[in-house]
Order: sequence, then C-alpha cells, then structure tokens
Amino acid sequence: MNKRHFFLLTVFTALGLLSCEPKVKSPLPSKGELDVSKIIFIGDGQMGGYMDDGLKYQGQQNSLANILAGQFELIGSNPANIPWINSASVGISTTGLAPLHLGYKTDCQGTVSLSPIRDASTGDLSSINQSCYNANNPFTVFGIPGLRLNQFTNASLAGINPFYNRMCASPNTRLLDELLAQNATFFQLYIGLEDVLDYAKSGGTHETLPSDLQFQQNYEQVVQNLTANGAKGALATIPDVSQMPYFTTIPWNGLTLDNSNVGTLNSIYNPLGYYFQLGANPFMMVDSTANMFAVRQIQSTELLLLSLPLDSVKCNQMGVLFPIRDEFVLDADELSVLRGRIQSYNDFIRQMAQTYNLALVNTDQFISNVADGFTYNGVSMSSKFVSGGAYSLDGIYLNPRGNAHFANAFIKAINQKYHSTIPEVNANKFDGVRFP
Amino acid sequence: MKSFLNISCLSFVLAAALSSYAQGFQVNFQGQKQQGMGCAGTALNVDASSLFFNPGASAFANKSEVNLAGTPIFAHVLYTDSATQTSYRTQNPVGTPFSAYGLYRCKKSLEPLSFGLAIYTPFGSTVQWEPNWIGRFALTRLSLKAIFIQPTFSYRISERLGIGAGFVISKGSVNLQKDIPVQDSLGNYGHAELAGKAIGFGYNAGILYHVNERFSMGLTYRSKVSMSVDNGNATFTVPNALSSSFPNGTFSSQLPLPSVLTLGLSFSANKKWTFVLDLNRVNWKVYDTLAFDYAQNTSALSDTKSARNYESIFAFRGGAAYTASEKWTFRFGGGFGFSPVQSGFVTPETPDANRLYGTTGLSFRANEHFSFDASMYVTRMRRSDKNLETQLNGTFTSIALAPGISLNYRW
Repeated sequence: MNKRHFFLLTVFTALGLLSCEPKVKSPLPSKGELDVSKIIFIGDGQMGGYMDDGLKYQGQQNSLANILAGQFELIGSNPANIPWINSASVGISTTGLAPLHLGYKTDCQGTVSLSPIRDASTGDLSSINQSCYNANNPFTVFGIPGLRLNQFTNASLAGINPFYNRMCASPNTRLLDELLAQNATFFQLYIGLEDVLDYAKSGGTHETLPSDLQFQQNYEQVVQNLTANGAKGALATIPDVSQMPYFTTIPWNGLTLDNSNVGTLNSIYNPLGYYFQLGANPFMMVDSTANMFAVRQIQSTELLLLSLPLDSVKCNQMGVLFPIRDEFVLDADELSVLRGRIQSYNDFIRQMAQTYNLALVNTDQFISNVADGFTYNGVSMSSKFVSGGAYSLDGIYLNPRGNAHFANAFIKAINQKYHSTIPEVNANKFDGVRFP
Repeated sequence: MKSFLNISCLSFVLAAALSSYAQGFQVNFQGQKQQGMGCAGTALNVDASSLFFNPGASAFANKSEVNLAGTPIFAHVLYTDSATQTSYRTQNPVGTPFSAYGLYRCKKSLEPLSFGLAIYTPFGSTVQWEPNWIGRFALTRLSLKAIFIQPTFSYRISERLGIGAGFVISKGSVNLQKDIPVQDSLGNYGHAELAGKAIGFGYNAGILYHVNERFSMGLTYRSKVSMSVDNGNATFTVPNALSSSFPNGTFSSQLPLPSVLTLGLSFSANKKWTFVLDLNRVNWKVYDTLAFDYAQNTSALSDTKSARNYESIFAFRGGAAYTASEKWTFRFGGGFGFSPVQSGFVTPETPDANRLYGTTGLSFRANEHFSFDASMYVTRMRRSDKNLETQLNGTFTSIALAPGISLNYRW
C-alpha cells in the first residue's frame, strides 16, 4: 500500500469519526425591558390555583401564577412565594366543600356514570383558618379565591374572605396596601371574573354586576396605585363566562320524548301555544312575562347552568311539568346584559393598558379560542366539559393544562410589549382531567 | 335526556399520524460500490448488486457472483420546539439495511442469459423519541420494515445492449406508537400501539446501453409497491373508565411505496477513472393520504384520514471511482435530493428536508474469487415547519452516518 492509498484511507476513516449528534442551539431567554427583581401576581382563584371547585396544594402548584413564575425564573426572577395550603389537606371550596374529582355516581334511575364528585364530605377548614403570614418572606402571589374588584380597598375583606385572612399582614390591612407594600417592579393583574360570575352563576338572579362607572373607578384606582412607583405590568381582560362549560354543557333541547309523553305534554301545553314532538324538545322554564302561568319553552340561545339538579330533571319532571326555575337559566335578556357589561368592562381595561402603557392579555379572545377548539402539539383542546381538556370539573376555572395555555397567552402579550423572549411552557406537560 | 357526563361525549380522535417513508426513509443502500459513489451506478455493471440498480446491467456480468452487504445507519434527530425553546432527541436503534444478491451466468448456448435473486431493504426505519417529549401525542415510536425479494432475469441482446427485469414481493411490518392525552387517576397517559404485517408486489426493470467504449447509459423503472396491512392489531392502554371508548381490535391500512424512474450515465475517462451520474424521479405523489380503518369504531375512536400531500421529487447522485491498483479501488461521491414533504406536513416520523450528502468508499480484491467493499455515507439536514394537523411547530435537525461493508465471491 503506497502513500496515496494511505491518504485516501485516512479521509475515509475521518468521515466516520464525524460527530453524529446534532447540537442544541437555542437563544437564551432575555428579559427585554422588564425589571424582574420583584414580580407579583394579583387576581382571584384562577390566579391562585383554584380549580375543581376548591383550593388545594396540587392546584396551587399548577396555578396561573406559579406557572408564569416558573417561566419568569428563566429570565432571572425569584420563585413565586405562595401561601401554600398543607399538601396533605383535601383543600376547600369558597363554600366550604371539598374539591371535586371524577368518579362514578349513581343517579335517581340507578344508572352509574362518570361524574364530578367531592373528594370528601366537607372541605378542610383547618387548611385556611390560620395565618401563614411571615413578614420576613412576603407573598408574591395574591390569587385570592372569590376576590372582586371592589374589595381591593375594603378594610374588612379579611373578615369575609378566609383566603385573604390567612395571608394578610393584619386583618385590617386593605389588599391594595398589601400590594403596594411589596413595591413590585412588575405585576400581573387578572381581576373582574368574580364580579361577573356571581350574576352569571345565579342565573341572573343576583343583581351584583358593578356599574360601568363603579368598575372603571375601582379598576383605575388599582392600576394607578400599582404603577405609581414606575412598575410595569400586564392587565388581562374578562372572558365571556357564558362560553364556559358551566353554561354550555346541558343542552337546551335535552328533553327527549316518546310518543305517549308527546301526547300528554301537547294536551297540557298546546293551549299556551307550545308544541312537542317525538325526540329532542326544549325544556320548559319559568318566565313571569310569558303568560299567566309564567312558563315557556327555553330558546336555543338560552343557557342552562351546571347547577341544575339533574336528578329532578330525570325523575321528577323538572323542565317538563315543573318548569326550570330562573336561577338555573341565563335567558336571552340576562345574557345580553351579561355580555354587554363584560364588553364595556373590557373596553375600559384595554383603555387602561394604553393609558398606563402596560401589556394587555386578551383573556376574552383566549377563552373564545378554547370554545372554538384548537390543536396543540397533537392534543385537541376545547371547552367541552371533562373531555375538552382545558377546564377543571367545576366548569369555570381552568385545569392545570388550561392554566398553562392561559399562561402562554400572558407570556406572548408580555414578550410583545416589553421585547422580552420568555419561553412559553409546554402545556401538555400539565394535567388535564384524570379518569378513574 | 342525554346524560351529559356520558363518556360517549369524549372525542379523542386518534389522529393517527403514521406517515411512512419519506425520502428520509427511502433507504438507498443497496450496493457498497454505488454507495461509495454517491449511491449512483445505474449505468454500470459493478457486481451482483446491479440486480437492484439495473437488471439490464446484470446482463453484462461475466461470472456468477454472490454479494452480501450490510450498512448500519446511525441516525440522530434533534427537535427544538419554537414556542418553548425546549429540545428533544430521538433514541433510534441502529438501522440495519442489508442486501443479498446471487447472480448466475448461463453457459454455452444460453450464454446471453443470466438469472439472479436479489433481497434488499429499500424502505424502512425506526424512529424512537425520548420519553415524554413534546410531540408524544403525535408519535412516540415508528418502526417500518420492508424486505424486497426479487427474482430476476437478464438478457444480453448484443455486445452493447442488455435488458433485465424482476418481479418484486415485498414483505413488511409496521409498528406505530403514540401517547393518548387521557390520564388515569395517577396521572399516567394513555398509549396506543398499531402493529401489523404488510405485503405488496411490484417489479424492477432496466436497460443498459454501451454507447461506446467509454460511455454508457442506463434506464430503470422500479414500480410502486402498495403495502397493505389487513389485520393489524390496535392496542390501547387507557384508564378503566375509558376502555370501552378505546376497544382493542384490528385495523387495516395502506402504505404506498413510490415508483422510481432512474436515468444513469457512466463515463470511463481512462483505465483508472470512472465517473457516474444518476438522475432519479421518485413518484411520491402516490402518498397523499394516510388512512386507518378500525374494525370497531367508537365516538372516541373513528377511522382517520391524514393528509400527507407528498410531491414527486428529483434526486441527483454522482461519484467517481479511482482504480489505484489491481487490488485497491477508491471512490467518492455525493448527492442532492429534494424533499417530497411540503410545508405544513413535516412530521416527527419523517422530519424530512432537502438533503445533501457525501459518500466515500473503497474495494479490496483479495484474489480472483474474493473481494471486499466498504463505504461511508454522511448527511445532515434541518427543517423548520408547523404541522397543520398536530400544530407541532419547531425545527428538526438530523444527522445520519452509515458505514457499510460487503463481501463478494465470484466464480
């Protein structure tokens, strides 16, 4: 073998020794114009990890705030300081109940099916009835279940909200003052959901929607104070809650009739001008303006609430001979009031984001996208109850995976406004609904 | 009324994403000498591997010959998700394309005839992604195997013109796995495995024409082979509450392997240097939909049709051989192939891109009967895409290294 052969052999073997693994070349996340030295998260239960109608440790871990904080750490921020609930506790709902999980339930007809059931007979009050405040290690997550906008300056909030009571410096401290004491350099504010939920979840029977003026004054007061020290921030609009599974799961025409039922109902209701047919029919609901019997068929655009007692529907003629009460229905008028008000609140929030030069998260758009359905890395997401993958079992608050998608909406808005490059989270890493 | 919690409302469509073989999984390792020259050699009769490259060229074989070869593929893919900037890797087992050729040169009055049997693996691959990777609900593992068995005859019409053709029986298997986004009470995700055996038929025909002493032309056509899976097994691991929505059962599917039309040229400059050039037209257009038909459908498990929309492509291959001595020959070459995968259709099983590659090779002739060949193939490619079906949005970077050897015996 001569020299030339040797050279060619060398070339041949050198090719074989080439590195075989592709190298990772990702740009480092940057904070852009953000000052991440002190970040706080402000909102209601959605911010704090309330889900499956309860607050517990596992929910707090997967809260909107905690997921966001995890990504902020990638640009140099400290981990979130959260008023943790004991990890062994079953947790508690705003009404004192235990959170929900998916299990088997037997209905009045003896049919066993998958249904949300409570983790325990009652919630764990001890998980929230003691103060966890520590002056040396102030909380950065103010995700307070049930929190409304007009409560930021309410000096007796601690008395009515145990979730606030356990984390405040003293029972008389106003929430707004607690927040200002943090002297945050960046804040994220998602507030207003609870202000519209009470009306919506009561089927429009609780006239608790703030007036536009009230809302505007309270909102601007909060934003003005939070930005007074030059802090940057992100504001989030309020979603159209009527797109959530709590309001969209029970079909308006879920009354299924056979021949004999059709005859009976027609003989009863035909004089009022209501007609029934074989198969799917609209439920009967209470409406005092409808006729002297204050009863009419529900319209296709009107919504039945998840609070509707289904056993009464299945076994006790509710929605048929006994019309569904107002508290279980958002009728056309109520929906129009609700949506109109949310729209005007949101107009103001958008205006505030402009006035105070803050990032704006279009929660309303995000919740609409979920309602329309989308695919994310091979997973279909929608607002279908249980199977949609985004909402927790209460039909209102997002589950961990839904929160992760919501967090990505925040990250996109913040990156856009402040020229940062905070990476989004892999939402599929977070839990959806767990099945037995 | 309808029970709103009935699990029948679940609609986890198993959007099956079994893409089969892209250019990426078209395996062009059917002859070590050709591999050394950029995988070209349609216009040459190099050895018994011409039974694959051009059955017409085999008509010019002077001797009977047996040729055994293997080319392990070391392939690595890195995926970087654009939104999260997280990266994930494949953990592919070593690919094992092989070929075995036997050529019998007839004697005396039958002298223009030769018969051959070719066994080779022109398509196939195994892609295994790391556990819990971001695309786990699109694909976790895909293993495809296709072995072609090709009895062939060749006929030398004149000193210049040879023709040949073979019938192809293809036996194969497919195994596709992915996670299903449903979780049990412990948080474990569901899993789907589709496995089946496939069979298909085709042919391979070619002509070699020696224009003059130095210059030759070859033309081959390897037909489409439609691999059908008839009684595949679909196995689902899901939470108990959902087991009736994901019934284990059988499925059927079809995987078209495209036809390849090749025009080859060869030029012998002198005793030492030979140059070859191949132009391929691969009719990937046949692969426009991937459908799975489940024997038992439920609201959660419907038959799927995934658009693939592959485009037919050209590929160019070329190389040179340098005969250094009686015993030693050295080769080098390279090629370029366009990707059949259009934007919006790149999948984790075919992270395909326009591909540029380089090869090198050598032969050692021990004696009149025995000779050995070796080759090396290297490629690197990168493709960024957002898949329309799964919305997987990121960049695939692939590196593949394929060293091969063969053993030849002539008599």
